[in-house]
Amino acid sequence: MNAPAYQEEQMKPEYKMSSENLDFYYGDFKALHGVSMDFKPREVTALIGPSGCGKSTYLRCLNRMNDLIPISRVEGKVTLDGEDIYAPSLDVVMLRRKVGMVFQKPNPFPKTIFDNVAYGLWVNGIKDKAFVQERVEESLKQAAIWDEVKDRLQDTALGLSGGQQQRLCIARALAVKPEVVLMDEPASALDPIATQKIEELIHELKETYTIIIVTHNMQQAARVSDVTAFFYVGKLIEVGDTDTIFTRPKKKQTEDYITGRFG
Amino acid sequence: MRTERLVQRLLGLAAGCSVAVTLLIFGFMVILGLPLATGGTFFRMFTSAWLPHQGVYGIAPMVAGTLSIASLAVVFSVPVSLGCAALISVLGSGPLPALLHRLVRFMTGIPTVVYGFAGIFLLVPLVREWAGRGSGMCILSAALLLGVLIAPTMILFFSDSFASVPRTYLEAAEALGATPVQKLLHVVIPCSWRGLTSGVVLALGRAVGDTLIALMIAGNATAMPGSVLEPARTLTAHIALVVAADFDSLEFRTLFACGIILYLCTTVMVIFTRRIGAAWEQQRW
Repeated sequence: MNAPAYQEEQMKPEYKMSSENLDFYYGDFKALHGVSMDFKPREVTALIGPSGCGKSTYLRCLNRMNDLIPISRVEGKVTLDGEDIYAPSLDVVMLRRKVGMVFQKPNPFPKTIFDNVAYGLWVNGIKDKAFVQERVEESLKQAAIWDEVKDRLQDTALGLSGGQQQRLCIARALAVKPEVVLMDEPASALDPIATQKIEELIHELKETYTIIIVTHNMQQAARVSDVTAFFYVGKLIEVGDTDTIFTRPKKKQTEDYITGRFG
Repeated sequence: MRTERLVQRLLGLAAGCSVAVTLLIFGFMVILGLPLATGGTFFRMFTSAWLPHQGVYGIAPMVAGTLSIASLAVVFSVPVSLGCAALISVLGSGPLPALLHRLVRFMTGIPTVVYGFAGIFLLVPLVREWAGRGSGMCILSAALLLGVLIAPTMILFFSDSFASVPRTYLEAAEALGATPVQKLLHVVIPCSWRGLTSGVVLALGRAVGDTLIALMIAGNATAMPGSVLEPARTLTAHIALVVAADFDSLEFRTLFACGIILYLCTTVMVIFTRRIGAAWEQQRW
């Protein structure tokens, strides 16, 4: 009875997502130089590096959010479950449903709390009210914000605090059941307590999702991630277990950065 | 310091002038229209027909003509303008949006009479054949052409307000896997209600105020129109036609009533837009 599932497991590659020699251009400016790295399922990978090093650009290549930038260009390959996400035949809409994203600044829609979380389900064509209700509750619980909002689901989301708004945005991303969650400095606009809540949340979400997080905060990278990748001027300098990167980095640039000598 | 004060005064003067002109025009119309009110014919005008030979100067058919032509024009124009604006700021890709935008801006500069001319030769025969009766100069023809005339106003208003929707909302929708059409329907349009309503009201104002299209295309019959395939006369065309023939008679004075109606129409529309704008600002979507 479990045989098909087992076979499927066998067929799946070891990595959830991979990039091979990924170059990215903003017009004539080359923002990423041949980035190759792999993401294992149900692991948290932190992308660190000084401002302008290309870590956010790289993150946005993984769900093709950079497609919105008119003069940009991608070369190389990014795969999700072994499938090239830049292949012409690939449906970007389906990709984004599998690879969700949480942004730096909390960006809930100016709608009710309920509608915000349900939005992703509606655009997926799910109209069954009971199902939507259930999924909204489940997502809000997963995002650890249910207890704070359960009595005011019909209030506007803009009345929530910044930290609550960000957890709501995480719930919104989770509601469509993505496989990978990309987080672009999700706590940088939040106070320390809200940040701590987001970090705890990342720990829990790791059980289910593959998480890739961009952060400026090295302590945060050390606390939440299994794997850390250090970017500098558009290049991936070093990637490895978070413990190793923070205690015994192989490259001098990585060491200089994590010990605070630059950036 | 001194130049700043000078500039301030000059600007104040300019603002004062424009306010004064608006008020003076209204006052002028009220004063010259007063004999009608005292003569007891004022209110009868709004209900009766236009039969100058019998001494009956009712403008009810013109009010009906104006309202039907202007509102039909807006009905025709809104869907087209929405689609065009969506193509310009949300759905279009490649060189198309910029091209379309330039074309629409160019359209605003074409003199109205050119539209009217094109309408007489192209649209009127088409409507005549389709209807199978009459001259083709009717409410429908005028409304269709007026719809084309007011579309650029709406398109530019719509596309501007679409373009001002916060990027963060678009990204959020995009990241959830919304298709461009879903993005338009669920995020862009709900976020732009204010711009949309002002665009529509502004266009409606233009449609009510336009003289030439109605004068050239609508047929100018003074009888109460019974259907959209019948000719009609608008208030503005009525003013133009009567002024051309006459300067001092009761007939002429009824024009001031037409002016007052047009004036009030515009004022009500402006207030309406402000109100709606403020209300939407309060609750968004």
